[in-house]
This record gives sequence, structure tokens and C-alpha cells, in this order.
Amino acid sequence: MPKVKMPRSTPSLDMTPMVDLAFLLVTFFMLTSSFRAPEPLLVDPPTSTTDVLIPKQVFLATIDEKGRVFIDITNNNVKIKVLKKLLKSRKLSAMSEEDFKKFAGVGSIGISVKELATFMEMESNERTAYSESAKGIPYDTAESKIGQCELFEWALETRLEAHNDYKEREEEAKLKNMEFDKSNYIQFAIKADGKAPYKVVQSIIAVFREAKVKNFQMITGLESSPIK
Amino acid sequence: MAELSSGGDGGKGGKKRAKKQSTRVDMTPLVDLAFLLLTFFVLTSTFSKPKVLRMIFPEKLKDPINQKAPEVKNGLTILLVENNRIFYYNGALDKTTVLLETDYTKDGIRKVLIERNAALIKQLFEYQKELEKIPTADTAGKNKVLAKVKEAQRKSTLNVIVKTDNKASYRNMIDMMDELLITQVAKYYPVDEGFMALEKTLVQSKIKS
Repeated sequence: MPKVKMPRSTPSLDMTPMVDLAFLLVTFFMLTSSFRAPEPLLVDPPTSTTDVLIPKQVFLATIDEKGRVFIDITNNNVKIKVLKKLLKSRKLSAMSEEDFKKFAGVGSIGISVKELATFMEMESNERTAYSESAKGIPYDTAESKIGQCELFEWALETRLEAHNDYKEREEEAKLKNMEFDKSNYIQFAIKADGKAPYKVVQSIIAVFREAKVKNFQMITGLESSPIK
Repeated sequence: MAELSSGGDGGKGGKKRAKKQSTRVDMTPLVDLAFLLLTFFVLTSTFSKPKVLRMIFPEKLKDPINQKAPEVKNGLTILLVENNRIFYYNGALDKTTVLLETDYTKDGIRKVLIERNAALIKQLFEYQKELEKIPTADTAGKNKVLAKVKEAQRKSTLNVIVKTDNKASYRNMIDMMDELLITQVAKYYPVDEGFMALEKTLVQSKIKS
């Protein structure tokens, strides 16, 4: 009996269109994405129907259920300047320029200024772990201490530096004859957990108000607007 | 790993033939890489920037207790308390004030606000229709209507005061602010200085009952 020959064919298929599509998507995501800053504090903000976008530059205070506050300034220049001032006012030695740069890139921080020097020496994964168990930026709403707490100083110095930074950029734009975006200045944003007691948020707002900050941007999740 | 057939065997003395090589390239690793990158970007990218609710708090009063309470005409005071409950009262606070209770649903506080703010809502709705009729190019005409909108908001007489109790959650406060936004209330004031003594007793007796 003759052998039955199976037709030999390689099971290859043309993958070109798939590759095309895959790279198209890769390119799209690469170009459109902005990376999520590492956040040591995970909060679930309440939702609202507002359609106002977050300002380009913010002093972001993240507040969790227990009232821990983590702060971040999205303008690296200002962030470093403010830290320098805080170190000076607390009579702590300045860090190296390299460490300052590193500090600008670490995202939200929730530790006191004293701890920062050791914090900067850690490896990045150690830092994340340390941040997660940190107590947050210290603050105190007692009448006599509100003007001395670290959160107050961060807010106050940022407000002052933000003004300088704005003026600097305005001058620069004028020199180069470029258009200047007047709405682009550091604003104060609060991202608090919806379950957080109002008392906690209120005391942090009180600290900011003490630093003469009046405008707040409360970060909220999206919610569809009811049709009227 | 390209699939390049090794072709000729370099046979001795044979005719030199042009090697026939397959032009097929195994694309599997390429695809692997592409999808790896794709997955990475899909997972790490954030699409929408977060939205914000703007709030303005007045500068702190030096001596909040001894301040004279401003006279509020056509006022509506909303008290946010524990367990997602809302109490509100109309007008000024005195011994005859009766607290009413409502909730965060659309038939709750929203209905109250819509009723109180009906005049302004109607006016703004008219202006909105006017705006839609104006062609996009006509900025001057649009600005005229927008100025009217601002004027209507400025003239609005309803004043909503929102006081949040320490035991209420932050979500309650944001929800309340959102309701004010939805119902287009032009003048509202979040008050951070706490409840007045009479308000406290009224709320306490309501909670107990």
C-alpha cells in the first residue's frame, strides 16, 4: 500500500498588518502618554461634574483618610528653591546639587525636612517603602503653632517663590518677545480621600489659609453631568 | 533569528548559481517586542488630566467670635452633618428657626436648590439659547451675552451658606459644592468657622429625635 503523504506546509502567516497596527498603537501611546508620577499615597477622591482641568503647575497636597499630608510641587525649579529656604530656616546643612535634583524628581514627599538628607541617600525602592510608612508633612493647627509648622512653611515659601518664578518667566518672555501664558502659575491643589473626615481637610486648609492662600483647586474624579 | 536558508553547499566545480534565498523574516520577536511596549504604555499612561473644583476661602478673620454676623437676605443655610445627613433653614437664624432635613439624592437638596434658584436658572437658560443662535465667528455678540450672564449672576439674590460639621466627610462637602454647581447658584459661601451655638442645639435635637 502506498504511503499517504501529508502535504508539508509551514504554518506561517503574514504578520505584517499586525505588526503595523501594533507599532501604530505603540507610537500613539508613546506620544500621548504622560507618566504617572509615583504616588506613595493612594487616595480615592470624591467625584464631581466640573469640567475645569487641573492647572499646569500646582502645589499638590494629597491627604489620606488618616490625615497624612504628602506634598509635591510640579515646578522643579521652585521645588528646589523652597527646600533650600526651609533647610536654611531650620539651620540644617544644604544638600549637594545632585541630591537637590534627585529631590525634584521623587514626586510627593511626606516626611519632615530633618529626615530628607537620609531619605535622599536611599535607593528608590527603599524610598517608596519609607514613604508609605511615613507620617506625612508635620502640621499643627493650634493657634500658637500654626505659623511655625512645616506645612505652613512649605505653603508660604511656595506662594512667595511661585510669584518670583512667575515674574522671572514673564521677564524672559518679554526679552525673547515670546507670548507669555498668564494663567500658567503655581496654584494650590488639594487631593483628598472622599472618606476622610472633613475635620482633617479643614485643618489643612486652615494651615494654607494662614499662609494667605485663598484659591484652592479641589481635585475630583469624573462624574457625568445630569441632564436638565 | 531571521529565517535565512543557508542555500548553496559550495559544490565542487559545479555551475555557480545565484543563490535563491527566502526573503521571509521571522517577525515573531518583533511582534513580541511591539506588544510588550504596547502593554507597557497602555498600563502606565494616564489619559485624562484630573478635573478640579475651584474654591475660594476668605482670608482668616483675626477674631472670628466677636465679628458681627452680616445680615443675609434671602439666605439659605445648609448644615452638613454626620451620616450623610443634611439640614437646612431659610433666612436668618433665630429662636423660631425650623430645621428641615434632606439628603444628597437628586430629589433631595438639588430640588430645594432648583426651587430657590429658579429665577436665575430660567434666565441663564434663555441666555444659553441666545448664545447658541449666535454664529461662532461673532465674538462681540457672544461677549455681549456673556456679560449679561455675569450681570444676572451678580444680581442674583440667593445666598447659600454651607457649613460643614467636623463629623461629616470630605465627600459630603464636595458633593454639596457640586450640587451648587449643577443648580447654577451664583453666590455660595463655604464657611469654615463651625456651627453657631443655636445651630448646634437645633441639629442635636434633630439628630436625637
